[in-house]
Amino acid sequence: MTALLALVTEAFGGRGGIAQYNRDLLRALASAGTAVTTLPRMAPDAAPAPAGVRQRRPRGGRIAFSLTALLTAALRRFDIVFCGHLFMAPLALLAARIARARLVVQLHGIEAWPRPSRLRRLAVERADLVLCVSRYTRRRVLNWATVAPERVLVLPNTCGAAFAPGDRAEVRGRLGLAGRRVLLTVGRLDRRERYKGHDRVIRALPDLVAQGHDIVYLVVGDGDDADRLAEVANACGVADRVRFLGRLRPEALRDVYRAADLFVMPSTGEGFGIAFLEAAASGTAAVGLDAGGAADALAEGELGVLASEKEFPDAVARCLAAPPPDRAALAGRVRRRFGEDAFQARARLAFEQLRRGE
Amino acid sequence: MCGINGIFSYHSAANPPREPELLATREAMRARGPDGAGIAWSANRRCALGHRRLAIQDLSERAAQPMASHNGRLVVTFNGEIYNYPALRAALERDGVRFQTNSDTEVLLHLYARDGAAMVHRLRGMFAFAIWDNLREELFLARDPYGVKPLYTANDGWVFRFASQVKALLAGGAVSRDPEPAGVVGFHLFGSVPEPFTLYREIRSLPAGCTQIVDAAGPREPTPYTSIAHILTEGSACGAHDEIEDAVRPAVLDSVREHLLADVDVGIFLSAGIDSGAVLGLTADAGRRRMKAVTVAFEEFRGSSDDEVPAARHMAFRYGAEHLVHRVGEGEFRNDLAALIEAMDQPTIDGVNIWFAAKAAKEAGLKVVLSGIGGDELFAGYPSFADVPRWRRRLGPLAMLPGVAALARRMLPACVPGLVRRFPKAVGAFDRTHTWPGAYLLRRSVFLPGELAQVVGADMAEEGLRRLRPLRCLSRMLSPDPGSDIARVCVLESASYLRNQLLRDADWAGMAHGVEVRVPLADAALLRTLAPVLPRFGAGAGKAALARAPSIPLPDDVLARPKTGFAVPTARWLAAPEQERGLASRRWSQRVFDGLMAA
Repeated sequence: MTALLALVTEAFGGRGGIAQYNRDLLRALASAGTAVTTLPRMAPDAAPAPAGVRQRRPRGGRIAFSLTALLTAALRRFDIVFCGHLFMAPLALLAARIARARLVVQLHGIEAWPRPSRLRRLAVERADLVLCVSRYTRRRVLNWATVAPERVLVLPNTCGAAFAPGDRAEVRGRLGLAGRRVLLTVGRLDRRERYKGHDRVIRALPDLVAQGHDIVYLVVGDGDDADRLAEVANACGVADRVRFLGRLRPEALRDVYRAADLFVMPSTGEGFGIAFLEAAASGTAAVGLDAGGAADALAEGELGVLASEKEFPDAVARCLAAPPPDRAALAGRVRRRFGEDAFQARARLAFEQLRRGE
Repeated sequence: MCGINGIFSYHSAANPPREPELLATREAMRARGPDGAGIAWSANRRCALGHRRLAIQDLSERAAQPMASHNGRLVVTFNGEIYNYPALRAALERDGVRFQTNSDTEVLLHLYARDGAAMVHRLRGMFAFAIWDNLREELFLARDPYGVKPLYTANDGWVFRFASQVKALLAGGAVSRDPEPAGVVGFHLFGSVPEPFTLYREIRSLPAGCTQIVDAAGPREPTPYTSIAHILTEGSACGAHDEIEDAVRPAVLDSVREHLLADVDVGIFLSAGIDSGAVLGLTADAGRRRMKAVTVAFEEFRGSSDDEVPAARHMAFRYGAEHLVHRVGEGEFRNDLAALIEAMDQPTIDGVNIWFAAKAAKEAGLKVVLSGIGGDELFAGYPSFADVPRWRRRLGPLAMLPGVAALARRMLPACVPGLVRRFPKAVGAFDRTHTWPGAYLLRRSVFLPGELAQVVGADMAEEGLRRLRPLRCLSRMLSPDPGSDIARVCVLESASYLRNQLLRDADWAGMAHGVEVRVPLADAALLRTLAPVLPRFGAGAGKAALARAPSIPLPDDVLARPKTGFAVPTARWLAAPEQERGLASRRWSQRVFDGLMAA
């Protein structure tokens, strides 16, 4: 049986997109018969690891994490060391060398776009397999890494079966959205992640309202940029139309995806943009920028609308004016491309590459 | 010659191929194949193949491409010629295979069905092809051992694309134009872009002598099935008992005879040199008379020793060829310059001569011409066969000493400025010249690695050199070690200069005029036969044997003529100052690079 050591920031019991990705990937590998040992930096929520995965106690400190990783690699047999984040790549390379194992490095988004430090670049170049969440991230990585392009594969995010169309009218009634045109963005409100484009949406609202749309803009997510965004809404005269909902529990998040008329995220820095998938899987039309990984999440326009930054307000207006999509059909298309079955099949194919290279 | 292309959406999240993109890429190669065009879709609609045809074997519509096997399982799109296809066909027919056409293309389908990827070992010729397997849902690509026919690929992580030209892939509109620093630096170092790199990061050349599989998991790394070094190493192990001439004559006659296989007229590019002259003489031995022989000459050289016409005319008369002379003047050069750079697929500091030769061949109604390209590499005709071992021997001991190379780089410009002005590469005399790659790089480079920062900028130079690793590239060509000085230089010249520059130039320049250039002296079967005697080709012995290979040998004055190469008065035409004419290749490289970048 193949044994894999996963060095990750977060996985089971973690929050955010990277933790979700790690969970999906490690679960897929475990279900294919790989014995997975996970060593996370953090696990803020209590969540059991699935069958086939043994998650070790989180080690928050950098030194403690590194020592534990190297000791684990030295004392037990592993065939593969999986590195869940670029920042850990040098450590993972060392662990792989100690374990005489093959190295797989996972790269997500914006952290992997600029040229990294020499040591991190070296670690990526020494990897047997590099997985990227989108073609855009892959392209950026290949611009700084000297690595055979055939070793750099795209393994896009997936979204769980829980995101699906539901009783929209009931949810809208419950949330007081009946008769309103609801825009939605889901993402962290972090001042370091202003590329997500909440500002662009807020600044587009006055024109949309002037066109006769009774707009409500739901902003899901928390972070240190929320107050500034509230001020922007105030300055634009749309403060009463922007609702900051904070971080939502999974059930509530599913509800707002279903309630929305349009999911909007004019981000310039998405590694992939899993929220696009979640929206479309819920049957809600989506608009993003033709920048970064969004082109993959929206399948080059097949699952949603891609616009330039300049054309974004017009694209939103056009979508609001257009008839709503066939929600079940849209969700089915998302599921076929990015559903869990498709993800598992791709994960297995990617790791089979390692065996072929032996 | 033809143009091939394809799109394979291998990733399950990818959209299926778009026909407009397939057609845009194919039509960008219209000049490669003016006689017909076709496309084919895989049964699952995830792969589409395109083809532009220059009809040479079996001119009927039955031989159109992409061509499917009789049961529809395999579909091929093919560029090139399989010279031994009659023998392969006969062997397949003995095994019970029934053919629908008289083309070499169909042989590929049957061979692949029977032998799979191992089929490439049976092929003699110049080829680049892709075969789609509807059962395995897998694409198989292959390229000939010398790399005569080009094949470029682009993989964006979801979709795999291929085409015969870089510019055709770009014309499809879906391939990234992110620059490849290794390609930019490689061009300024070598005068052509070394494979597998191109000027674009996403586009790569399938290396010569390699196959590649693409399936649902994406493209595998290219797999080498042969190399010049392997062929020579195996050959040298056999040992040579023949006299050189006894080995050379039947081998080159056999190659020339095979390269005459066509259902259209075959002509020849004839210069004043030994290679093309010998090939012409051997065509006469192979039974061809009144062959059209095309010579390009330059008005500026008329009456001078650089004028190739008198010697070429003499040879044409000797072998009963119809001699056609195309004289190029500055006006025609200037008229054609924009079209020439437009047709140039990847930048090169050569190609002017063959552009005009192909143009003349087309005007003479020829579709296929033989060329002597490859003769200097195989028969040790270049000065590099003497220079590289000598430099290594003489400069090597000092180059091995720590600090000498750096000292020379700093001191020589100050101590002997005149010498450095005339021979800028003198400052690199001790840069790893104790190694074969180092000595070869010094001999062949247009700019030295240390000069690149001034030419392309410091960041581009540093990143390009890091990604290209030129010495390591050259070193890999020499693995396995073919064992003799002549064989080592033969490998370096064949796998670098010949492959990346001469053969590529012959392809794009011929293609621009719908003319297929065949190279009987760059033939893997010929190389294999001559490998045992190749170490004895030094000091002119190889060229002398080639000159005497035709039953009517070449005139003695051709053998005695000093080697000039294909001199082209570009320096004069580009108005270079008299004292800088020795640096013409550097000026021309800048002109070409700027021209291509502006396109």
